[in-house]
Amino acid sequence: MCHLDLPGRDRKLPRPSVSALGRSVGIPTRWFRFLALLGVCLSLLARAQGGSQSGGTIPDTPPVKKLPTEAILVKGAWPGASDSVTPVPEGGSILHGVYVNQYFGLSYRLTPGWSEKYSGPPPSDSGYYVLAQIRPENTSQGTRRGTLLIAAKDLFFAPPPAENALELMNQTARNLEADYRVERLPSEVRISGRSFVRFDYGSPAAELHWRVLATEIRCHMVEFVFTSRDTELEESLIEQMNQMTLPSEADVTLGTGGGDAPVCIKGYASGENVLEEVDPVFTERRFNPVPVRIIFDKQGKVKHIHFLSAFPDQEKAIADALSQWRVRPYLRDGRPLEVETGIMFGRAPGPMTPMRTKPATQ
Amino acid sequence: MRTSRLSWAIGFFLAFVFAGMALAQTDPGVRPGAINGQAGATQTSPLPLVSVSGDNPAGSLEFFENGLARFQEVEVVANGANNGLGPRFNLNQCSGCHAQPSVGGSSPASNLQFQVIANGIVSGSTNTIPSFITANGPTREARFPFFLNASGSPNTGAPNGGVEDLFTVSGRADAGSCSLEQPNFSMAEEANDIIFRVPTPVFGAGLIENLDDSTLIAVQNAAAGNSFGISGTFNHSGNDGTISRFGWKAQNKSLEMFAGEAYNVEMGISNEIFPQDRPLPEEDQQGSGLPASCLNLSGTGYPEDTTNFAPTISSSDPFARNASIPSDVVAFAMFMRLLAPPVPSPNTPGGSGPIARGRALFNAIGCATCHTPTISSTQPSNFTPSLGKSPVNAFSDIEIHHMGKGLADNVSQGGAGGDQFRTAPLWGLGQRIFFLHDGRTTNLLTVIEDHASSGSEASQVEENFDALSPEQQQDLLNFLRSL
Repeated sequence: MCHLDLPGRDRKLPRPSVSALGRSVGIPTRWFRFLALLGVCLSLLARAQGGSQSGGTIPDTPPVKKLPTEAILVKGAWPGASDSVTPVPEGGSILHGVYVNQYFGLSYRLTPGWSEKYSGPPPSDSGYYVLAQIRPENTSQGTRRGTLLIAAKDLFFAPPPAENALELMNQTARNLEADYRVERLPSEVRISGRSFVRFDYGSPAAELHWRVLATEIRCHMVEFVFTSRDTELEESLIEQMNQMTLPSEADVTLGTGGGDAPVCIKGYASGENVLEEVDPVFTERRFNPVPVRIIFDKQGKVKHIHFLSAFPDQEKAIADALSQWRVRPYLRDGRPLEVETGIMFGRAPGPMTPMRTKPATQ
Repeated sequence: MRTSRLSWAIGFFLAFVFAGMALAQTDPGVRPGAINGQAGATQTSPLPLVSVSGDNPAGSLEFFENGLARFQEVEVVANGANNGLGPRFNLNQCSGCHAQPSVGGSSPASNLQFQVIANGIVSGSTNTIPSFITANGPTREARFPFFLNASGSPNTGAPNGGVEDLFTVSGRADAGSCSLEQPNFSMAEEANDIIFRVPTPVFGAGLIENLDDSTLIAVQNAAAGNSFGISGTFNHSGNDGTISRFGWKAQNKSLEMFAGEAYNVEMGISNEIFPQDRPLPEEDQQGSGLPASCLNLSGTGYPEDTTNFAPTISSSDPFARNASIPSDVVAFAMFMRLLAPPVPSPNTPGGSGPIARGRALFNAIGCATCHTPTISSTQPSNFTPSLGKSPVNAFSDIEIHHMGKGLADNVSQGGAGGDQFRTAPLWGLGQRIFFLHDGRTTNLLTVIEDHASSGSEASQVEENFDALSPEQQQDLLNFLRSL
């Protein structure tokens, strides 16, 4: 029987590293020995169990392909897009210590020594995005510990309905549960020259403090959520946000596109604005909400479709239908502009949200 | 040389120091004391809801006890009192798997699946115990996420995900000439194409069944403003489109559906909801189905479990006669429906203060965003008063959430994808042994850690747990084991 002396896997046991101790203290060697022994044992086990339960191993057969471990191969409702070029909200990434999101036109330089360990889940069917989850790489005791969650809520779909980021943040503050204590009511601040709403709260029980800073970009509330026991750390991180690059539209109430981005208007593809319309035909009864963002070009034709959360057959049905849509071109100062809007297909998750009160055409 | 020894010494010293710190917070383990926190409950006699204990309405207690008895019946293939087992199955008794801390619970400490040959339930000449079934490991069902091709490689173009029953009746004296092979588990293991599920406890299940959709949606909307990166959704019944709620992926709509599926899939007994004997997914895919020699082994025709039109019982109690009329599936469902939820301990483990602090921490760091401590109220009940207008302290929002690569099992059920799972109800957690959908651990610290991985909605909450002091983490663990 192969006996493995497994190195301690306890999550709380810091692994001494070269940088922490000045030089190697032999743990890597122990791991190397362990891995080598593990390999030998596994190969012996594999040989010992070579005969399968029905029929045994056939000589000269190709090697068995293995499914990868820790991979999501079978996806449920998942995000997708009609093309791979147009940026989408969940398409941001961290490169060379900078979180860059082309869709939102923002770039945020991470604090040195911070990185993303785990990427977020796919967008939800209520329009919620986890864009990045950032934390110190060294999380051993004594480290100034905290996390930064960068998230976005699509104001076309997010419950509860809200006209803008300021209103949504105020709702969050009003609905804060009794476990928390408000440390600063939502109020406007300037970050990197743009308007943000800041809301602070804490948990006396957990001795944790949350600092939420949000603005509106392309009809999304984009929020930066700092969590730490260390409020000084949080303040320094907030200060660093001033180095962030943001689009000119970023504003707590007026982040409705424009500039390089399409204008975003809730409910634009409805009523008299729709000139030609074909409903998608879903062949499977799935009962899920299917939120979709659409960019119409200056002629009112569909330029891009972003499926926040859809099954493949739903994507195809919606894409086939939307390709036949035409809406009234959006005009500003007499000039046609690209317009981005949202449509909820499938089953709406909650009460219908009020239309954005903004003139559709000028 | 001397420097090297010094480095080793420092390394070991630090390892001991930090190991000591790590040990500062530990899972207290299975909570001792009253089963389900209920005075009078025993391993074989869990308590019914309060109103059922008072036999309100008249006859309900009889139905509960009848269902409880049937839940513990040992099934055989033929020629016995309880026929229909197989031709493939995972065990021969509901309570063999749903056993901890009492009938209706989850995996017991001693795994009866490991003992099926020794106990004469299956023939050792035709069956082997799969490697993943161990003497003191969890009771499990196995699934292959994808069909395997002839060479043993998984065909990712052919999703499977169905239950691969562990054992066959072949070789049993009551199984005639039925000859079946077990699924090729070693091949699936070699291809990393196998996942496991452990039994879900069914305490308080009637309360979950009686939650109205609008109540669940309100809970979902109330959680929408969270700062933890969480946003779940619901699985739905393909039949009527309403929220489904039982099983690891909330794939089953009702307790009767849940019971009917389990009777058919886990024990191979056809019933009024699933009226045919069930082949393996591979046998269905290949178009062969079960061989004729393995059909109708009970000799009774189908379904093997039916309504008892003319029960023959000796009791003069009319309610006893009534309770014996429904099929096993209906009786199982009624037992689960009328089974009382566990009662948390106010002071064990660790005392009332730490438990109260742990509960506050549970809420504060975001656990409660999904593990909703209380859903306000069930709809009125036509079964028994305790099921109606009652709070449901299940610590679950009944939503399905993305749990990331670390927990993904790549099985799709209804609207749930390969990494989506129902928020596991935590009531009764304190006396459970095995955790997570596959029973991979008995340690709550590992459970919490495994909530974080790429693609998981719970990574941020796990970070918040890490940010707590060791004492706070211990309080939270004590709270969890008090449930």
